[in-house]
Amino acid sequence: MNAIEAQELTRDFGATRALDGLSFAVPRGQLFGLVGADGAGKTTAIRALAGLIALDGGRALVAGRDVASGGSLVRESLGLVPQQSSLYPDLSVAENLRFFARLFCLPKQDFRERSARLLGITRLEPFAGRRADALSGGMYKKLALACALLHRPEVLLLDEPTVGVDPVSRRELWALLHEFVAEGMTVLLSTPYMDEAERCHRVALVHEGRLLLEGEPGALLDDFARSPACRQTAPSFETLFLARLEQADRERERGDA
Amino acid sequence: MIGKERTERAEGTERMQKAGKRGRAWAVALAAVVRKEVRQTLRDRRVMFLLIVAPLLQTVILGYAVDFDFENVPTLVVDLDRTATSRMHARRLLADHTLQRQPGGASVTTATAELRSGKAAAAIVLPPGLERDVLAERPAEVQVLLDGTDPNRAMVVASAAARYFGETAEDLLRERLARAHVPPPPVIRAEPRALYNPGLETAPFMMPGVMTMLLVITTTIVTAMGLSREREMGTLEQVLVTPIPPLVLLLGKMTPPLVIGCFDVFLVLTAGVWLFGVPVSGPPAVLAAGTLLYLVCTLGIGLLISSVSKTQQQSFLAGFLFIMPAILLSGVMTPVQAMPAWLRMVTYVNPVRYFIEVLRGNLLKGAGFADLWWRLGALGMIGVIILFVATMRLRKRMA
Ligand SMILES: Nc1ncnc2c1ncn2[C@@H]1O[C@H](COP(=O)(O)OP(=O)(O)OP(=O)(O)O)[C@@H](O)[C@H]1O
Ligand SMILES: [Mg+2]
Repeated sequence: MNAIEAQELTRDFGATRALDGLSFAVPRGQLFGLVGADGAGKTTAIRALAGLIALDGGRALVAGRDVASGGSLVRESLGLVPQQSSLYPDLSVAENLRFFARLFCLPKQDFRERSARLLGITRLEPFAGRRADALSGGMYKKLALACALLHRPEVLLLDEPTVGVDPVSRRELWALLHEFVAEGMTVLLSTPYMDEAERCHRVALVHEGRLLLEGEPGALLDDFARSPACRQTAPSFETLFLARLEQADRERERGDA
Repeated sequence: MIGKERTERAEGTERMQKAGKRGRAWAVALAAVVRKEVRQTLRDRRVMFLLIVAPLLQTVILGYAVDFDFENVPTLVVDLDRTATSRMHARRLLADHTLQRQPGGASVTTATAELRSGKAAAAIVLPPGLERDVLAERPAEVQVLLDGTDPNRAMVVASAAARYFGETAEDLLRERLARAHVPPPPVIRAEPRALYNPGLETAPFMMPGVMTMLLVITTTIVTAMGLSREREMGTLEQVLVTPIPPLVLLLGKMTPPLVIGCFDVFLVLTAGVWLFGVPVSGPPAVLAAGTLLYLVCTLGIGLLISSVSKTQQQSFLAGFLFIMPAILLSGVMTPVQAMPAWLRMVTYVNPVRYFIEVLRGNLLKGAGFADLWWRLGALGMIGVIILFVATMRLRKRMA
């Protein structure tokens, strides 16, 4: 069964079409990567899946329920780490955690165990009393992640979690995500870094609100290596994605002409 | 049959349990939002200042500074007659301290210049030949030059001068009749007696105004900015992806301003009673009910403002755009009856107007529910409508 389903997502902001019939599906227990350049529509897609924006067309399903009509049931099964700040800067690490735990109505004992574990694995323990606005960028992201994980969501949506995070923390973050996925969580994340694609079970390349490419990273690379468009023996994801983006631009120019 | 009934009942209980569980969850979330709001408010020194120190300062400053009982208006006496009579009139005119003589005023020209420079607010010109005319029982004209930029003050001076010379003329007439052995004509005198605020002091009149203005300023802006702040910080969305309904967040956010508003009323009232002798003559229950209903209105307006603005700055500006006309069209500054009819219509939907009337009636005149019920009702109605519209708008925007 699919934990996440995006069906023909369409959304306009004025004259800009941010999502243009974007479709993909993420089976339960997988780590799915949305890759795309700035302005490709990654954030819009994630916000649509979280039920934060209305769609002009299409349907977003999370844990088998339509996000638009699922209400609190959908939100209970969802964790979101947005691209921008999302925590109370004037509350401490521990206070932010406690506040969001209460919104999810987590029992006290549950909260204590859970927050201790999350503070441990994110190594935020020593900073529990520090205000959120005094955290470094990487620590802030980890706190946002901890807040989103408090209620053990089935589905975790992460918008560019690795941007602004140092390489060591970044590796740790990926290890954590794989741990969660191994426990049965479904993770969808977006990233502007093409090279992060190989760490996902499946990736999708998004461009101008449309899906250009989707599949298992290994298979995608193999196909590309065999195609005439590839001029290298051991191509990277970066060359693959850039080649595909160039092709898309060429196709559009031809269409316009 | 029985089996079906049993399952129906079981389903009913299950639904009830679910609803109960959800209710508890909302209560927990509401308490969490309130606690968070209180913590943030206490942590923010600027907000604390705005909510506690500013009201006290304003009470004291407005109480002392805003005084419509004009006394000691700086006045020039341009005595062009320089006789015993002119000096006597000048002295008697100034005797009740409404007017206070300023040095200067050698001639009408210099007096005019001094009025323009602000050295004096009025000039009494006693014309040459005043004594001669009075003795000869010829009409005389005393000119009163006024700085009309402050119409209230000008009116006070004009009426003081008119009153004095009116009485003087009456005295002269009496003397003349007495000399001719004619009995003086009967006089009709007005005997003003103020039933409330007998000393006609400004402070007790001002204090309800101060309370009204303070409450609308602090609570509206704090509420409007609070929600915009959550939107700006991205925390609003983070709360919206939790299972609690947006209404819980709104309710939670409104609690602190409500409590603080009530506290401010208490604070200002205490200061008013203690420093300026404001009477608290009506039933306190009416005062409490009025305050609560008024706060529902101001908080609702705050929410409405945050539903149309994106940032804290926009909320702040919109708050002021609402507050200024709301105060001007309330009767706090000038009586509603003095406004043109079309503006008076606007005051009927202005909660500030009803609250000031409730406060003045209750505090100064001792009015109770019997006198003020329809104003309280109007406040309640406006409050409920605004709150309803605001939450609908916000829910739509949040969803
Ligand atoms: N609220 C909005 N109002 C107007 N335009 C918007 C809004 N949100 C997104 N857009 C537009 O939609 C397009 C897609 O934006 P989106 O934020 O989804 O891109 P993204 O892939 O997340 O980019 P980035 O990597 O820079 O975060 C952009 O052209 C953006 O300008
Ligand atoms: Mg983005």
